[in-house]
Amino acid sequence: MTSWGPNFDETITRLRRELDPMTLIQVVIGYLTLIVFLVLPLLSMVIEAFIYQGAVSLYWFWDILTSVEFTSLASQGGRMFEVRRGILILWGIDHGILLNSLIVAFSVAIACSVIGIILAFIMARYVFPGKQMFQVLLLVPLLATPFVNAYVIGKLFDPRNGLINFILVDLLHLLPWRLDIDGLFGITFAQTLAYYPIVYMNVVASLNSIDPSLEEMAENLGAKGLRLFRTVTFPLMLPGLAAGAIMTFIFSLEDLGAPIGFVGARANPLARKVASYQIYSSFAEALTGGISPKTAALAFIILIVTASSYGAVRWYVNRRSYAMLSKGGRWSPRVKKPSTRTRTLVVVFLLLIIGLASMPQIGTVILATTDWATSGTLPTEFTTKYLSTLWTNSQVTQAVLNSLLYSVVAVAAMILVGSSIAYIVGKRDIPGNKVLDTLATIPVAIPGISLAIGYFLFFSDVFRDTPLDPLIDPALLIICAYMIRRLPFTTRSVGAGLQQVDKSLEESSMNLGANHPTTFYRIVLPLIISHMINGAILGFVYSMSEVSASVTLGALREDRVPITFFISQIVYGAAATGSVSIGAALCVLLMTVQIAAMAISNFILKQKTSFLGV
Amino acid sequence: MVNVRLINVTKRFGDVIAADDVTLDIKDGEFFTFLGPSGCGKTTTMRIVAGLEFPNEGKVFYDDKDVTQLPSFERNTGMVFQNYALWPHMTVKENVAYGLNVRKVPKDEVNKKVQEILELVKLGGLGDRFPNQLSGGQQQRVALARVLAINPDILLLDEPLSNLDAKLRVEMREEIKEIQHRLGITTIYVTHDQEEAMAVSDRVAIQNYGRIRQVGTPQEIYNKPTDLFIATFIGKGALMEGVVEKVGELVDVKIGDMVLQGITTNEDGVKPGDRVACVMRPECFTVDEPDEAFNIIEGTLEWSAFVGSITELKLTVGRFSLLCDAPSDRTYEAGAKLKIYIPKSRTIVLPWMDLD
Repeated sequence: MTSWGPNFDETITRLRRELDPMTLIQVVIGYLTLIVFLVLPLLSMVIEAFIYQGAVSLYWFWDILTSVEFTSLASQGGRMFEVRRGILILWGIDHGILLNSLIVAFSVAIACSVIGIILAFIMARYVFPGKQMFQVLLLVPLLATPFVNAYVIGKLFDPRNGLINFILVDLLHLLPWRLDIDGLFGITFAQTLAYYPIVYMNVVASLNSIDPSLEEMAENLGAKGLRLFRTVTFPLMLPGLAAGAIMTFIFSLEDLGAPIGFVGARANPLARKVASYQIYSSFAEALTGGISPKTAALAFIILIVTASSYGAVRWYVNRRSYAMLSKGGRWSPRVKKPSTRTRTLVVVFLLLIIGLASMPQIGTVILATTDWATSGTLPTEFTTKYLSTLWTNSQVTQAVLNSLLYSVVAVAAMILVGSSIAYIVGKRDIPGNKVLDTLATIPVAIPGISLAIGYFLFFSDVFRDTPLDPLIDPALLIICAYMIRRLPFTTRSVGAGLQQVDKSLEESSMNLGANHPTTFYRIVLPLIISHMINGAILGFVYSMSEVSASVTLGALREDRVPITFFISQIVYGAAATGSVSIGAALCVLLMTVQIAAMAISNFILKQKTSFLGV
Repeated sequence: MVNVRLINVTKRFGDVIAADDVTLDIKDGEFFTFLGPSGCGKTTTMRIVAGLEFPNEGKVFYDDKDVTQLPSFERNTGMVFQNYALWPHMTVKENVAYGLNVRKVPKDEVNKKVQEILELVKLGGLGDRFPNQLSGGQQQRVALARVLAINPDILLLDEPLSNLDAKLRVEMREEIKEIQHRLGITTIYVTHDQEEAMAVSDRVAIQNYGRIRQVGTPQEIYNKPTDLFIATFIGKGALMEGVVEKVGELVDVKIGDMVLQGITTNEDGVKPGDRVACVMRPECFTVDEPDEAFNIIEGTLEWSAFVGSITELKLTVGRFSLLCDAPSDRTYEAGAKLKIYIPKSRTIVLPWMDLD
């Protein structure tokens, strides 16, 4: 792609030639969407954060960075590794809201990386019984159980009647104390179990793309074992690892599921002391008093952290993405069949990880189908009354219908916008393409909560008393948030399809007299339609289970709440009563949708796509 | 049918100049070939004619119409791509009918035309197949049929035979030439294969580093190369480096202690003292002593190779090696001294240039 031509006249000539009506519409759709629903809202947030008493000021940032409530090197409370009355307390230490968030996110990224590397290595290099089954089971944590997952962990590790404590301490006498996992440590624990597959999938992909002859060469030169790993394998898989780790970091920073889940399960105030939760709770006040500049400043700081770390990793990965130089032939990966003892160890280890990691999903199903929520350690009876609320309880049904509607509309919009951008960027020579490309990638690095703050500030001000005003009706903005947040993945998915359409296929069409629109509809579209459908399915699943924008903007009007908001309310508010099982039933619905989508994607469209598209 | 003119066309990709000040006049109905090593800009020049690239400078005319900025779909040219670019989601018929459908030709007329064209390229029964069910040669024919269907003003062929095996290549090139001749359509052909270029073209343009080095009939290009690049790029040839002694009707070139007389085909000629090369084609040599109008070269026979109709000889003359086609009715001793003769009119003297 050439950028601005060497001289202005030439650029104008080129524009006049390239910009037929369809292209113009695609360009306008791309820019308009990204500017109105991404750039301007974020700008509003920035402006709000920098204003104090009517003047530009760093007051709010200074306030956040100096108050012990937000950043404190000394402990502000919390407990870690303390044993009291036979209970080992694992809550984490409070270092202030901002530092807590960063520490949690960093710990999650590290923990996910360690687990991810080990798993990836085992799966990519060893042959053992049941490998294919494990390949599927390792991805179970990707099934969406927002809020309920943390609730389940909190419940399982409850020092009084948690099931895990019951098994480990009372039944097997493996541990001298009962475990009390909660608070910041609980959030870290829950997030690690939920996000490790992201690192795992990225590293496996890296490992599988390493030409085995590179490792064989190193072995041939005398490098073995750890040395081989350190000098050849690890550097080659580092880009994949970095890409996966940064996603877990970002996901952790913006996650609301775990904090709200723990607050719901155990009401430990420590679980509230993360930035995402603070921003979320400010929306409750937004209905009456608006969002405070301090919240905007906090959201901006989180955004700066995610965006800059994402940018740094992207820069590094681009610099370090080794195009494998080896040419020709498909290689068979280096798989070993280890000794029986090692194989047994591997299987036991995998079972342990999978057992831990799928607790939330299994627990969710149990909550939804039994009386576990109120019965104590173990459920006592099966019941369908919670699942049946999906169609009998009007509030629940309303939330489901809302989510369905939002998701369908958001998917249509993201396909339209995403395909337009992918086509313009990938296939057309329009000045400024790089800007469009970059803009369309940015949402990956934007925490949903920051975007939600931006939406609220921008649209309640500039679009006051219009259908886009979140105080009038948040529905449109929720849809737009879904669309924008998923846009980079849709664009990339369609872009991957477009890459397979050789330039000459379009050129020959134009050569035979078809203009750009005709060429697009008759040549390009039929060739990428399966990518678009796949992108749409993934976008739909994503939208159904989206959390950050749903629970913040959703709070603004009762009859507009999506599924995830409804779940969050149930888990947050009514944990003690059995109604948490209704939330679990909704999660079962989400998981069902997700599995169905995965099946369609894999078996009908024959697409191999990682579900988070990272 | 149109005549195509390029006037001072220059196309840059960043720092690379793909077409450098190209000026050409391609005549109505002519079979015109761009020949050059890979990366010389020949495909780019053709794409500029097709409207798939647009020049940074210069103008393109079809007859008297300035088409420089006209998009490809308004030019009515038919281009056969190197990889054929058949649409995989359409059958052969649909591929061929595409250009007509885009032109909103009535349906029964389209069907008739498609059938006719498929017959012309000998694909009569394969209309309902998909491209991936065809052999390379058949795909090639579909690509050709697809552009012929629209009765293009100009037929553009971008290395159309490079993906075919040697035998099929010869067959197809004759077929293309035949069809072109029958339809009388202005044709621009791009290839790096000089034999192919010689065999089909009315005129050939040799391009290197974006510049057109020489334009002429295959005979002119072969026999009267205007510079050393062309002389070595086209045909086999050996060259001996020397210095011009005298320029008269013939040019005297001193090479070591030997003097060869030859003619120069360079437009600017040569003058005494110039560093030059004498280019000699293997088939111009003879080993039997002729009359005086021949240069005599004495060398040592390095090897000989019997190839059937002739025996190829390689001689070492000072620091140069010469190739010579000799009669195959006798045997040649390696290591022996041998005299070979070449007509002065076939000894081509060209200014020296460093070739890479």
